[in-house]
Amino acid sequence: MSERSDSSEILNSLEKYDLDISDYLPSHSGPKLVLNFNKITTVSEVEGIILKGREIENGIIADIVIKEGTVFEDPIHLCFGVNKETGLQEIFPRIIAEDNSSVTLQAHCSFPNAKNLTHKMFGHIYVGKNCKFVYNETHYHGEQNGATVAPVSYVYVGENSYFENNFFLTQGTIGRMKIQIDIYAFKDSRINSNVKAFGKNSLDSIRVRDAVFLEGENARSIIKMKAAAIGGGEVMMFGITEGNAANTTGHVDCTEIVKDRGSRCRAIPLIRATDESCHITHEASLGKVDSAQLNALMARGLDEDEATDLIIKNML
Amino acid sequence: MSSDVLLSVKDISIFSEDRQCNIVDTISFDVIEGSIHSIIGPNGAGKSTIGYAIMGIYHPCSGKIFFEGENISDLTITERAKRGITLAWQTPARFDGLSVYDYIGVGVKDKNLIEQRVTEALEIVNLNPDIYLKRKVDANLSGGERKRIELASVIAMRPKLVILDEAEAGMDLIVLESFMDIFNKIKELRMTILIITHREDIGMVSDNSTLIWDGKVLANGSFRDIMVLYCQKAGLKKICSRTLFNQFDESVDKIIEEETRENKI
Repeated sequence: MSERSDSSEILNSLEKYDLDISDYLPSHSGPKLVLNFNKITTVSEVEGIILKGREIENGIIADIVIKEGTVFEDPIHLCFGVNKETGLQEIFPRIIAEDNSSVTLQAHCSFPNAKNLTHKMFGHIYVGKNCKFVYNETHYHGEQNGATVAPVSYVYVGENSYFENNFFLTQGTIGRMKIQIDIYAFKDSRINSNVKAFGKNSLDSIRVRDAVFLEGENARSIIKMKAAAIGGGEVMMFGITEGNAANTTGHVDCTEIVKDRGSRCRAIPLIRATDESCHITHEASLGKVDSAQLNALMARGLDEDEATDLIIKNML
Repeated sequence: MSSDVLLSVKDISIFSEDRQCNIVDTISFDVIEGSIHSIIGPNGAGKSTIGYAIMGIYHPCSGKIFFEGENISDLTITERAKRGITLAWQTPARFDGLSVYDYIGVGVKDKNLIEQRVTEALEIVNLNPDIYLKRKVDANLSGGERKRIELASVIAMRPKLVILDEAEAGMDLIVLESFMDIFNKIKELRMTILIITHREDIGMVSDNSTLIWDGKVLANGSFRDIMVLYCQKAGLKKICSRTLFNQFDESVDKIIEEETRENKI
């Protein structure tokens, strides 16, 4: 199979997310860095965006620089896919968004055939002043619970910048997954972090640690974590917000639905304030689907399982 | 049981574990097919409890509920919905991520008709489909918008019996004024309506009424007779005046005034 058709297969596995795959295929002209296992198959730069990839023993180092003042509406595409059943992939992205830039990065991590496959990532994102930076990471780990995935990201968000993180793993199985993202927010910055995950059977285990450290005055953040565990799946969400500067505001919101015997959901919100002018809050709800929602859908003719599935599907 | 009776509630009682008593006590009434039937009574009388019992959310400790002659007392909510009963909630649930289109379309059996039914239902409740179809049924909708979407969802479903639990609560006056049109449209679509309300201006659209007081049926009859009795029972010498329905209020007020003069009250 050619490298190009390999990439297409990896991307096509993400179709369940209602993505327009044509926007990301190798023939598309937008900025992109596409990986097939540990080989770089496509690197495409545009003016103002530098993309460099270097292959290492079990993966790559990817350097991405968004030059000062660059405003780019189409997403920069990163595809870290593997269509092998086994193996190790290690990714080291280093991303810099210079001052006054505005971009969206769409990362696809697709392992459609994983049986004993490990994907590790250790990334750093530096966002300058007055930037808008949206990072979307969409995962698909196949249907055989065969992936072990452990991404770790450190994000630094500069003065008066907006950073949004959207991490979705809701289609297919999870396998084993452990995510850590630490975001440091400086003066007047705003952080919006969303995580959605769906554990479907007893071989699915996901642990998420999503932390925001409000280090500059007037920095604001919201973390929203939504998950469902069914069929014996396990989900643990660890939402952290620290207010370490004057007039910082943060909120952690965690909603988890648990269904079927053996399924487990845990939520541990941890909030801390070290300045009397901080306002840091959290809320968490775990357990069965809300009975008012269930009754409403059942009164329209859905049975309990259909109603539960619809509620979970839309929540995630 | 008369052949034109769609729903028959026979001697149902509902026990409250919290209050250790029957909150609904041996209640009976019939709803005629194609009619608008109102259940009237003060707050806490047990009106909504009766609606939930018909829908299958609460289970009576005694008595039976018949729908089209079938004893549905042991059926689930879903089974009752599939037989043609649905309920518009007093405080409708909100759903993260669920679009207005999908929510209203949930009850439409023929999937080829979903788009047509959803659009039509939104228009009936005076919501612009172009604006609302893609919105979510979540906390971003106002209370009035959510109530109208609830009405739209029962209209799109085309059940045989619609239970409207205080459908007017939270609605703005402009929508209240168009309630008559909405009820008439529902009737035109050959649905029978059971209104649960404590507002006389809403209840006056009904063909028949049942007055509930302290969990018991005080009377079944025409809305006017029921309102006279309601006012007498509540010690009111006059119905609260509402600008939209002054004419009706005055006629009931006149009866109360005459009966007071004749020392009947």
